Amino acid sequence: MNESKEQKINRREFARKAALLSAVMVPAGLAFEGPAAAATDEQLPEGAEKLSAEGRVEAEARFQQIMSQYGSRFDSEEQKRVRDGCYSLEGSLERLRAFHLENGDAPAVYLKPLLEREKKPQSAPAAGAAPAAAAKKP
Amino acid sequence: MLKESILYESVGELAKRIETKQLSPVELTEAYLERSQQLGPQLNAYARLMPVEALDQARAAEKDIHRGHYRGPLHGIPYAAKDLLAVKGVQTTWGAKPFAEQVFDYNATVIEHLKNVGAVLLGKAAMIELAGGLGYMYASASLQGETKNPWDTSCWTCGSSSGSGAIVAAGLAGFAIGTETWGSIVCPSAFCGVSGFRPTYGRVSRHGAMALSYSLDKIGPMARSAEDCTRIFAAIAGHDPLDRSTLAVDKAAFTFSPAADLKRHGLHVGWLSNAWKDYEPGVGKAIQAAHKILPRHFASVRDVALPEGPWEEAAGVILQAEVASSFGELVRSGRVKELHDPQGRVGGYVNLTVSGGDYTTAQRVREILQKKMDALFESYDVLATATLPAPATPLTMNLATGLAFPDPLGAIGNLCGLPALSVPCGFTEKNLPVGLQFVGRAGDDAAVLEAGQSFQRATQWHRKHPRLS
Repeated sequence: MNESKEQKINRREFARKAALLSAVMVPAGLAFEGPAAAATDEQLPEGAEKLSAEGRVEAEARFQQIMSQYGSRFDSEEQKRVRDGCYSLEGSLERLRAFHLENGDAPAVYLKPLLEREKKPQSAPAAGAAPAAAAKKP
Repeated sequence: MLKESILYESVGELAKRIETKQLSPVELTEAYLERSQQLGPQLNAYARLMPVEALDQARAAEKDIHRGHYRGPLHGIPYAAKDLLAVKGVQTTWGAKPFAEQVFDYNATVIEHLKNVGAVLLGKAAMIELAGGLGYMYASASLQGETKNPWDTSCWTCGSSSGSGAIVAAGLAGFAIGTETWGSIVCPSAFCGVSGFRPTYGRVSRHGAMALSYSLDKIGPMARSAEDCTRIFAAIAGHDPLDRSTLAVDKAAFTFSPAADLKRHGLHVGWLSNAWKDYEPGVGKAIQAAHKILPRHFASVRDVALPEGPWEEAAGVILQAEVASSFGELVRSGRVKELHDPQGRVGGYVNLTVSGGDYTTAQRVREILQKKMDALFESYDVLATATLPAPATPLTMNLATGLAFPDPLGAIGNLCGLPALSVPCGFTEKNLPVGLQFVGRAGDDAAVLEAGQSFQRATQWHRKHPRLS
């Protein structure tokens, strides 16, 4: 059964993986507040079970990253909201990443180089007159 | 003292009176100011009224007109601007406590355009803090408190252009300017029973406007009719060297021309079958009635489905990543704690964790969607459906649960920068307005505006006004 390995991850294993991953993801210099406790069954947001095992680990790591940096700013209710937000984002990312893209499918936003003529609109030189810049050239 | 009915006239009607000198811009401004001073605080509609500046502008307009220098249909017409548009020397709070004392020393381009055509700025309209970019759960997520719906003051106006919707619906100004990143013009227009237009991305300069999401933000008019929106759009559209996201000169400019409108009659409408899962009963009835009358006024009306895909997810990830940049410093510094809404105080932290890879994936999905939508518009001039499946919600409702329904059209329209117009199309049994939305091809703002005008030539819903005292 292919689904077995992914689906059978138990909550203890999930919490262990999340704690490990969060330790890896947060650079030492940033981890000044220390990780929060891994999620208990009750703390897992509604809908968390819809995420893949990897997705749950990533969502929890995302939460731990925030807590490591900013944890002291939140009371328990706010921590719950942050965790909910991390799991909700993860759900979106799983659906987004599942969309088939070819390597050549480019992003919608392109660089628009700032051309010199855009910055300084120049009036057309009078007929017969040499451009000022040309006169300076050797 | 002007009659209340005059204060509810369209820009077109007011302009006729002003041009023929039957109505003084000063008298009109005084009347709107008086009404705004009386009703504005009851509705929490304004962030700030500007009576001194407004009367100065009105006097200047009157003087010009008497000298024979009439500048067009917005000359002498009082309006309100959402409080995220910079007005020189006046507080621009972005609806948020951390920016309550912010003052710019220049005008947003939109304000400059309206000044140039002689419109009179009455004041700054209330809004959801930071246009809701960090998330919010309650209608009270604003420096001004919850904006109350003029049709039922126990209900909300929707956001984030909350004050703009209330001001137009309550007859406190001739029109208002709103902005939309995802729903912030069309939603308050539907809840408030006004006509609101979201232009194609890049047609209206955002210079001087608070940046929330660089690739999603748009500025547009909210007014008493689609025709008014057309006139106002013509005044504010155009390329701006100060905003490099604006389209080229020939693609950005828009000219109001009633004669050109006549050429466009016979639009092909795609009636969306999968934009909303369910309608609340009162909304469904009004939308079905609107659907029935469309074939009489349009060349064809055929059912069509939106393409399926992770469009809301892509829009959400792009929004979160761009807000992580636009308001990252507010979050990292901890000042985000000063926001009013409990969700707004924490949402920004999650945004900071969106990776560059996921943002770019969302932008790649966006490009594919743009092509799909452009192909759809080979067969239809406009798509139509309800603006929202529900009417105005109670002021105290938890929006995270009460207004949490899938919105693929909002995601698609804003991801692809498509123009959209919401027009009133009826009322629920509780007398709350219902909105009908037209969405067009990128750049074909004219088709969307014409669709709204065609609908309003056949209906009178846009002429209904709330009873206020």
